[in-house]
Amino acid sequence: MFTLKEAQLQQSTPIPLAIVAALSVPMASIVRPALFRQGVLRPAFKPGIIQTGVRVAAFQTTTRKRVLPPLPLNDPVPVPEPSPSHGSYHWSFERLLAVGLVPLTIAPFAAGSLNPIMDSILCGTLLVHSHLGFQSMIIDYIPTKRLPTIRKLSGWALNAATLLVGVGLYEFETNDVGLTETVKRVWNA
Amino acid sequence: MAALRASAGRVLASVPRASRPTIMLARSMASMSEPTPSESPKMKTFQVYRWDPATPDAKPRMQNYTLDLNKTGPMILDALIRIKNEIDPTLTFRRSCREGICGSCAMNIDGQNNLACLCRIPAAGASDVKIYPLPHTFTVKDLVPDLTLFYQQYKSIKPYLQRDTPALDGKEYLQSKADRKKLDGLYECILCACCSTSCPSYWWNSEEYLGPAVLLQSYRWLIDSRDEKKAERKAALDNSMSLYRCHTILNCTRACPKGLNPGKAIAELKKMLSF
Ligand code: SF4
Ligand code: FES
Repeated sequence: MFTLKEAQLQQSTPIPLAIVAALSVPMASIVRPALFRQGVLRPAFKPGIIQTGVRVAAFQTTTRKRVLPPLPLNDPVPVPEPSPSHGSYHWSFERLLAVGLVPLTIAPFAAGSLNPIMDSILCGTLLVHSHLGFQSMIIDYIPTKRLPTIRKLSGWALNAATLLVGVGLYEFETNDVGLTETVKRVWNA
Repeated sequence: MAALRASAGRVLASVPRASRPTIMLARSMASMSEPTPSESPKMKTFQVYRWDPATPDAKPRMQNYTLDLNKTGPMILDALIRIKNEIDPTLTFRRSCREGICGSCAMNIDGQNNLACLCRIPAAGASDVKIYPLPHTFTVKDLVPDLTLFYQQYKSIKPYLQRDTPALDGKEYLQSKADRKKLDGLYECILCACCSTSCPSYWWNSEEYLGPAVLLQSYRWLIDSRDEKKAERKAALDNSMSLYRCHTILNCTRACPKGLNPGKAIAELKKMLSF
């Protein structure tokens, strides 16, 4: 009586409700007894619920969330535009940073000498590495689909935090002893 | 099952009467022959997730069914079929082949996604068996999940041979033995969705991330020597969400009831796209 297809049509057709109502008036008198009987038997299909069009599929508990995507049932999901800078290049860059961090971390201690340039490279890499890591967490756990505003906010919060840490590290490198030396001192303390 | 019994009866029509009942009972699917009196009953409780779309306001609940394992086949699916046949006909689940080849009976058994027909009932005495539908799917009824999105995603990777050049002999597209070997461990996938629905990344981002099963299939078509749309296939994955939401958690590989390795396929995809 009320199939999936109909439910989706009802949700997507831009015909004003008034016209739909007007059209359905002559039909209603014929259909109503049957509708009424169904309604009595199966409270799930109350006419009121159907008319609001909130429920996409009549067999779901979930009311507000979209249970089925608003596509004809047999269509594939849309394929996103290719963007290697967020895809393969991004991935390679992440790996490169992570692998690069290993020698950068070991080198100053192994060599025993403290080179300020090496130190700042280490700081920069570390910063970008953690920025990308946090970004990944935001993408994973704050999906744009569900929480668009919070997603944007957290993105900017992350940018601000990275900037702040960047400035802090710069100050630390230029005016203080630098990262490696600090770790050494803390280690020996 | 009635049909099965009837055909068994026809096949065995020539067998002498005395030996017939035992053979017939052994052939029936879920229930086994009556236990001999000396066998003590091995009781086992199954807690099954129930939700009925006819009463959408009622919360989902767990319902307990207790069976004697002496009278039940060895697999979880046997138990479910027996519950449906003998205790509660309203219990709803999907099944078809009962031998792990159709992928219908995927469900979450004792916290692990599995095919009910390939999963043994743990020995009696141990704790109850808990059976849920596949996690993070919308439930149609009881143990039946809504896999619409899963199939739409599968369709989006164009899971078929795409090529423009005609076959050399005008008949078939030939492939070397080595090239054919590359498809082993990939073509066996039955699209049961055990792996995808066990993946946390897929739980959080199923609208955009394709999930292990679909990516395994994507890889299967990418390394097929006969396929000629490699660049297009790669471009379709080269974005932030479709492929790179995989963080090598490897729940997929752990879950796969067919012993495949979707995690490795995804790693190969990432390598393919980068180098
Ligand atoms: S890879 Fe394994 S678990 Fe995943 S859909 Fe295929 S058969 Fe099922
Ligand atoms: S019934 Fe076919 S896979 Fe279990």
